[in-house]
Amino acid sequence: MPQTVVGKPTDIERIDEPKSRRISKKMLIYILLVIYGLVNAYPIFWMFLNSFKSNIEFAKSPFGLPVEWLFENYKTAWETARLDTYFLNSIIVSVVAVIVTVFAGALASYFLSRFRFRWGKAMYAFFVFGMLIPIHATLVPMFLLMKELGLLNTHIGLIFPYIAFNLPITIFILVSFMSAFPKDIEESAIMDGCGVFRIFWSIILPMTKPALATVVILNFINNWNEFAFALVLINEESLKTLPLGLANFAGQFTTNYGAQMAGLTMAIIPTILIYLLLEEHLVKGMTAGAVKG
Amino acid sequence: MHLLSRNKWPAVFGLAPALLIYLMFAIIPILISFYYSLMDWDGFTDMRFVGLANFQEALSDPIFWQSLKNNLYVVAASVFGQIPIALFFAILLNRKLKGGKIFRTLGFMPVVISTVIISLVWGMMYNSRRGLFNHLLELVGLGEWAQNWLGDPKWAMISVCITIIWQFVGLYLIIFLAALQNIPQEIYEAARIDGASGWKQTLYITLPMMRNAIAVAVILCISGSLRTFDLIYVMTSGGPGHSTEVLAMYMFDQTFSSTRFGYGSALSLFIFFFSLILVYLSTVVLRKKAD
Repeated sequence: MPQTVVGKPTDIERIDEPKSRRISKKMLIYILLVIYGLVNAYPIFWMFLNSFKSNIEFAKSPFGLPVEWLFENYKTAWETARLDTYFLNSIIVSVVAVIVTVFAGALASYFLSRFRFRWGKAMYAFFVFGMLIPIHATLVPMFLLMKELGLLNTHIGLIFPYIAFNLPITIFILVSFMSAFPKDIEESAIMDGCGVFRIFWSIILPMTKPALATVVILNFINNWNEFAFALVLINEESLKTLPLGLANFAGQFTTNYGAQMAGLTMAIIPTILIYLLLEEHLVKGMTAGAVKG
Repeated sequence: MHLLSRNKWPAVFGLAPALLIYLMFAIIPILISFYYSLMDWDGFTDMRFVGLANFQEALSDPIFWQSLKNNLYVVAASVFGQIPIALFFAILLNRKLKGGKIFRTLGFMPVVISTVIISLVWGMMYNSRRGLFNHLLELVGLGEWAQNWLGDPKWAMISVCITIIWQFVGLYLIIFLAALQNIPQEIYEAARIDGASGWKQTLYITLPMMRNAIAVAVILCISGSLRTFDLIYVMTSGGPGHSTEVLAMYMFDQTFSSTRFGYGSALSLFIFFFSLILVYLSTVVLRKKAD
């Protein structure tokens, strides 16, 4: 009797219970999971549905499908809210920060993981310590620093903090990945007379591709969603990123719920797409901190 | 290794870009806040050295203590809300189920969405006149339970915390699922032979085996929930009447609305050390228990 268990290794239910009871148990589990799934998805779905409703309809029935699908809301939101500007700013800031973070982070990780030198361990700990710094504790001094440097209200002034605060997790992920490569990987390259940077570029970097993908996506989403630094460092309407722009935009549209939700729907689409297409990488990146604990 | 003993310059060049940016824009801000925290400065007129007056003022401001209390409230709500819910659903999901992947995907989705968007959508759901919750209550005949969820000091903090819990359950769900998959199946088989029911297996095998993962999740949860700022800023700005004020919000208001950079720097330092100490303490306590 116990031997039959081996066939279903991940099924932790008892198999000797009556079949009807097992089925009803499975039903209960499904019901609970469906409720959980609904609670997670419904707010987003609700926003999507209501983005097509007129104000009157929203007030009357915030639940049902729109009687008349008002695509106009999208046009109104796009035109009055300067979403195009916000989108463009978010793309510029996020992409530039991602490129610099991943490149500088990978280069640093290469030396921290593949070479042994005197301050190596301490330097790695120093970088990883950054994961503990609460970002909002640096908002005020960051503002003062950027003011001093004359970088308030510039893209660059936003890009640097984004790089600085994403380097720790980037280096953490990349170092743990690169350390796992066998030690003699560089040997033959050295025999052939390859320089240190050549080895990095043509041997280590290609081998790190999976981790690089994780880091790129994680960085991008972090920067795309960042709000606090943008709030403090950017004042000018034409330089605002998407989260910052949206926070204001809600204020302008307090009476037009449909347009407000249309704007939010448009803003959320890239994130949802990236998530659905690259879920594994994103999940891995975002839970990487837990591995260390 | 061999290469470096001959020449250390490649390492210097390789580490310099990351190190310089990190030093300049993550470490230096913290260091300069020590300096500014001793000053009284509005950003225009001359700076004035005031010693520790800023810190004294913070400690004697009731709103400061209110923010600190609310911060701890958010931490408690997150730890006791997110962790048990995540653990419960992780255990449910940790079996062969058709479509199990969908629930994982849906569960993690709120974690990747911008906090600003989440705050705005939930703000509309909480809306007192047309919001989702009041409408729902009316629909089931409980209209008199309708509340001004974010506008009533009695409810504002609870409402905000519900959104925070909703946002991050998925993160811990995934962490727990990964840990559950690491529990060797032989243990369950042995338990089954001994006749332990599914419920008993969860209680006496799964939970004890998960101790380490739970400890890690609690530490992450504490440090994560201490960072609450975006959500409060967008949903309530700390109101009504400071009832949802958290330290970061208080600091932001004091610094940028009242342009008091010295005082704001003192508060920044306080947040920095408060977070580090709390995370350190929770690590020490939970790690000890887990070992």
